[in-house]
Amino acid sequence: MQRLTKFESKSSRAKGIAFHPKRPWILVSLHSSTIQLWDYRMGTLIDRFEEHDGPVRGIDFHKTQPLFVSGGDDYKIKVWSYQTRRCLFTLNGHLDYVRTVFFHHELPWIVSSSDDQTIRIWNWQNRSLICTMTGHNHYTMCAQFHPKEDLIVSASLDQSVRVWDISGLRKKHSAPTTMSFEDQMSRNQQQQADMFGNTDAVVKFVLEGHDRGVNWVAFHPTLPLIVSAGDDRLIKLWRMSDTKAWEVDTCRGHFQNASACLFHPHQDLILSVGEDKTIRVWDLNKRSMVQTFKRENDRYWVIAAHPEINLFAAGHDNGVMVFKLERERPAYNLNQNNLFFINKEKHVRSFDFTKNVESLSMVSLKKLGSPWIPPRTLSYNPAERAVLVISAADGGTYELIPLPKDATGAVEPTDSKRGTGNSAVFVARNRFAVFTSQNQQIDIKDLSNSTTKTIKPPVPINDIYFGGTGNLLLCAASSVILYDIQQKKTINELPISGVKYVVWSNDSLQIALLSKHNIVIVNKNLEQISTLHETIRIKSAAWDDSGVLLYSTLNHIKYTLPNGDNGIIKTLDQTVYLVKVKGKSVYCLDRAAKPRQIAIDPTEYRFKLALVKRNYEEMLHIIRNSNLVGQAIISYLQKKGYPEIALQFVQDPATKFELALECGNLEVAVEMCRELDRPQLWQRLGAEALNQGNHQVVEMTYQKLRSFDKLSFLYLITGDYEKLKRMGKIAAHRGDYMSRFQNSLYLGDVDERIELFKEIDLYPLAYVAAKAAGRTEEAQEILDAAGVTEDQVKLPSSGTALAPLRAVSDTYKANWPLKATSLSFFEKALLGQLEDLKIDDETPAPAANGFGFEDDDAEGESRRANGNLMDVDDEEVDAAGWDMGDDINLEDASESFVDVQSGDASGVGASEADNWARNSGIAADHVAAGSFETAMQLLNRQVGAVNFAPLKPRFMEIYQASRTYLPATEGLEPLVNYIRRNPDVTDGRKVLPFIPKDVEAIRAGELQKGFSAMKSNNLAEGVVAFKNVLHSVLVTAVSTKDEVEDAKLMIQTATEYITGMSIELARRELPDTPENAVRNLELAAYFTKPQLQGMHKALALIAAMKNAYNRKNLSLAGHFANQVLELSAPAKMLDNARKIKAASERNPTDALEIEYDQYAEFDICAGSFTPIYSGAPLEQCPFDGSKYQSSWKGKVCAVCEVCQIGAPASGLRLLAA
Amino acid sequence: MDPFSAEGELLNIHNAFFQGQYDKVIEHDTSSLSASNQTAAKVFKFRSRIALGEFEEVLAELEGEEEPELQAVKALAKFNTEELEAAVEDIEELATASGDNATVQVIGGIILQRAGKTDEALALLSQHQGSLEAVSIIIQIRLAQNRLDLAIKEVTAAKKWAQDSLVINIAEAWVGLRVGGDKYQQSYYVFEELAQAVSTSSTRTLVGQAVSELHLGRLPEAEVALQQALDKDKSDIPALANKVVLTALTGGDTAADLSVLEAEDSSHPFILDIAEKNELFDKAASKYAAKVAS
Repeated sequence: MQRLTKFESKSSRAKGIAFHPKRPWILVSLHSSTIQLWDYRMGTLIDRFEEHDGPVRGIDFHKTQPLFVSGGDDYKIKVWSYQTRRCLFTLNGHLDYVRTVFFHHELPWIVSSSDDQTIRIWNWQNRSLICTMTGHNHYTMCAQFHPKEDLIVSASLDQSVRVWDISGLRKKHSAPTTMSFEDQMSRNQQQQADMFGNTDAVVKFVLEGHDRGVNWVAFHPTLPLIVSAGDDRLIKLWRMSDTKAWEVDTCRGHFQNASACLFHPHQDLILSVGEDKTIRVWDLNKRSMVQTFKRENDRYWVIAAHPEINLFAAGHDNGVMVFKLERERPAYNLNQNNLFFINKEKHVRSFDFTKNVESLSMVSLKKLGSPWIPPRTLSYNPAERAVLVISAADGGTYELIPLPKDATGAVEPTDSKRGTGNSAVFVARNRFAVFTSQNQQIDIKDLSNSTTKTIKPPVPINDIYFGGTGNLLLCAASSVILYDIQQKKTINELPISGVKYVVWSNDSLQIALLSKHNIVIVNKNLEQISTLHETIRIKSAAWDDSGVLLYSTLNHIKYTLPNGDNGIIKTLDQTVYLVKVKGKSVYCLDRAAKPRQIAIDPTEYRFKLALVKRNYEEMLHIIRNSNLVGQAIISYLQKKGYPEIALQFVQDPATKFELALECGNLEVAVEMCRELDRPQLWQRLGAEALNQGNHQVVEMTYQKLRSFDKLSFLYLITGDYEKLKRMGKIAAHRGDYMSRFQNSLYLGDVDERIELFKEIDLYPLAYVAAKAAGRTEEAQEILDAAGVTEDQVKLPSSGTALAPLRAVSDTYKANWPLKATSLSFFEKALLGQLEDLKIDDETPAPAANGFGFEDDDAEGESRRANGNLMDVDDEEVDAAGWDMGDDINLEDASESFVDVQSGDASGVGASEADNWARNSGIAADHVAAGSFETAMQLLNRQVGAVNFAPLKPRFMEIYQASRTYLPATEGLEPLVNYIRRNPDVTDGRKVLPFIPKDVEAIRAGELQKGFSAMKSNNLAEGVVAFKNVLHSVLVTAVSTKDEVEDAKLMIQTATEYITGMSIELARRELPDTPENAVRNLELAAYFTKPQLQGMHKALALIAAMKNAYNRKNLSLAGHFANQVLELSAPAKMLDNARKIKAASERNPTDALEIEYDQYAEFDICAGSFTPIYSGAPLEQCPFDGSKYQSSWKGKVCAVCEVCQIGAPASGLRLLAA
Repeated sequence: MDPFSAEGELLNIHNAFFQGQYDKVIEHDTSSLSASNQTAAKVFKFRSRIALGEFEEVLAELEGEEEPELQAVKALAKFNTEELEAAVEDIEELATASGDNATVQVIGGIILQRAGKTDEALALLSQHQGSLEAVSIIIQIRLAQNRLDLAIKEVTAAKKWAQDSLVINIAEAWVGLRVGGDKYQQSYYVFEELAQAVSTSSTRTLVGQAVSELHLGRLPEAEVALQQALDKDKSDIPALANKVVLTALTGGDTAADLSVLEAEDSSHPFILDIAEKNELFDKAASKYAAKVAS
């Protein structure tokens, strides 16, 4: 048994304690006259009540009303309301210190005991004293009501305990009922009046046995038992019947005054505290001491028990502490659809989630460990149907218990194995690990309990957990270690402190590490994925099938997504331990170890998860089928950058407008703007529309805002002259001359301008305008009207009249086309579908409002049509993918069809190799499957492969590495098994074969071989090696995109080298005759073109340089020398190059005319070794990208020797989808 | 009482046979066995000798034996010599005459399956009454048919009544290697437990361990186990076959390993399969030959 402290306060001496029956509150009355109200769960002081004068000793909460009562050394009893936080009234009457006060459990009564030797009963409703009980002849230290009967028990320093009968009082104060004569008779007879004639409360028993004063006394909650604590340091147990009471036994152990005691509310235990600074726990049945908890310095004064929850509080010299005596977490283990757990009777039971049935008890663990200590953990082994139970008793013991096949009741386990250890888990079918913390040792044991292996953890650890097959998770104080049992080494270590529990996800890919206030989610290799912090203690966690972690704190069920987002699902009134999430239900064990099913609404987290995973279809589904609305989800979406999705949830037009603007959805924005019709909103809408080039909306907003100038300008730049003219008319109508002038300027309408000037009597301007425009008659008219002659007017030379530029295209006819790809395909789908939805919902189509929105819609549609087009494309590609494997696929399909048909009947199934070919679209996997034909088809389509002979070794190599031959029954052929590259996968639709020589191995092997051949001038060998690289890469599989890039790079490198080396080999084969000199030099020059690596490039250049120099092509030699000098070559070579460069500069001539233009960009044909100048037609090998003269089209590539030059190809696939 | 159960006197010889310790079976002292178990012990001894290749000797020794068990053994020996068809005929006769005999069922199952008469083999085997070996052969046949589901069913059913039996444990390991995932490791445990204990180690169990490790991707460990097997018997065919696979897996040249295997057993399924694939490749490649020429 252990004492788990949950809360501790520091204060002056605590004399009285009371638990609130429902809330996590505790009242503490102090010697310093203060009453404190604490929230022990949060550890905060809620309130202080300071009206007593002197120490407060008695305190009690009312069970149902928001009331509490206190009694102090000021002789007063005060009744308080904790809601209004003040004292309601004071009960006066006691003549000395009040020691204890308690409410009656149902009647409006308070019982108080006082140093004035009386016990009084008060009615707190009419605030009157209703009974005074005299009889003790010393201070009465304690008086309590019986929890059910009309009895009071009291303790006094007169060394006696008294039991009082108060049934008379109850009758007197209960509502008068018709009383039969017999009743009256019996009542009169039964109740003897005491010596003062008082029949309300009479002494029933006087219990004498303590030989010092008695400090505390308490009834048993259900049995007719009384326990008392006295200054004689003894705890005495009394029993009573209807007629008598007697002492049962004495618990000896306190070595100072015992100050208080009580019965454990649920278990057969007595708890007592004393001035010897101890809390002692006694066995009620044996009256033997079970446990002692000693405090260093503080004497204990009082102890109280929570009426329902398994909590106790003890007051001492320096405050109070709240504690419990046992862990309430039931031991459990989840195995697929079954939960195995140990209930409060210490029986192992199971719960079937598919049927929602709890089994009968399977095995009783009564004999395991001490009777007062519940088992700590349980680990279930489905293969052996056995459980491994850990108990903290005796410094930690484990027991391996086979479960019976059928649950028949709590039978004693047979054939169980046990040993010492602090934690034990199954690590394999027939192995379990036991950790002993004392000697820091992990033993791996087999089922017969013998140790097969011993491991010393790398650092001191606290606990071990299952860590995946063959691994353990070791929890140290400040880190978690993933440890490989087989190899005895640390695989990974993550610095997280205080991890207490480990929860594996259902697919065994993720682990939640739970500590007191943190959850860290890691993958199975212990790499951190996310972390979160809670202020309230985290109790348990369980994984949803979709990868969401649900966890429980003391009072909530919450969730966290893989990206760390979290939220509350439900508030709990009782702490539970989650074990499984299934659909809309959470299964959990409560503190009584009873399985419970709690309904939850998973919509919110499913939606968020769908959002994170970009699963828009799921989101759409959720949006359609649930009423997921509210500010929280909107702001979440907005925060995450999905205003367009948030838009779907909003009703409020203002918010909807904001969101629509944010995601550029003008359609909705216009709609909302119309509804709201506020200038600022129109303005913002206009700005956004302008940004999008949607000038039709812009036009509308300008009209709404009556910004005529802007409107005119808009018409000008969009080339809408009709409307521009109308603007001029409107301006005239408005009498706005400035606007008219501007419009006429925009229109280049001189006559209008002249007219305008005349209208406003600006004749000089009118004249100039007419003159400049060459309107002589008009000008003369003006002159005439003004009464001046032409001579009187001095004009600067007018030059030519300027006309405004006219719009080149009629932009106004359509909005600026928007690129649709700014939205992801799914988003479009979502939006598209949602728009459809909307149109269904709201009959008035937005198109009906006639502002050129038809266009807009049409475009929306065409956009959608585009989306569909894309769709079609995709399908085609898919179909192509299918084509390649058509033959086998059809066969397979029919075979699996047969499977379904025949069910259990015998017949031959599809082998795993068939699955490989079905699961993958890459050639290597088909090769491994033995399906060479389809592999070749794939290669033919992907890279135009036609000549497969060079690939044969690679094919055979892969095929040979695909199967193992397991000798089985002697005499029969070995069993063929298939080697997977994803050995963790068991799903037949996902398995893929192992492909030997991955990209890394090829790089380290053949590629290096090629490089060293180049270095050692072993070119023929080098070409072979690089060709091997190409062939290996052509038929391989990779697991990441990075590797695809690596592979491509390697193909490129190998191609360059093969081209280069082949050129050089061709040169060397040329007979050294004068007529070959030109070709020889050309080839030497071409050899410098392929992109070789630094040193190799230098070799090629130096060779070419020397060749050119020797043949007196000095200019060319100088060209190569320059290039050599740019590279880092050995000093001697550089020297040579400098000399040649100097010689070339002296005499820049070429003796031979060769086809090598040092200044032009060109590629080398890998077949004919001739230059292909840029711009000239060329063909490429679809696999390695080597280039050829166009005449080579259709031939087999000389580089890879496999593919057809210029063949149509879809591109090499290496990554299995 | 089942003579093969934990208390039975045939347990040791039985386990030794299934662990592939044939020498141990042959050397086993059977003189102390009760009369009822003598025949069964003899069958194991003969089968061990057949496993070691002593067909002619066994045939000669069994000449004229009448007991159905020994006749079945004789057929098995004959099957391995030239007289294939005769052996199949013999065993078919035996199966009709004494199909309820466990040894006839087991050996008949083996011969019929080898002769390609899978349905007949299964029909004969399914008459068994609690013969674990029959169950294990059924499991193997099911696996060979790629009917993993049925194999798993057999294992599960057998485990209900023969939890701790070595034969079933091994058969479960076979199934595990097909299922994969965590089961690879469990199969590995079964073989490793047998292979690494001196008293039960044999080339057969070592190869089983090595194969499990190949599937688990632990190639160096697999190599160690295979080498241990080859150290015990340098011409052990299963070990040699898987050596080829290991070499291929590590990207090495398999020609040498293949020729060793071919020398030991030219009709090994692996050799045959590779020859077939060689042809298949050439045939498939020839379809594109027209394009190569152009």
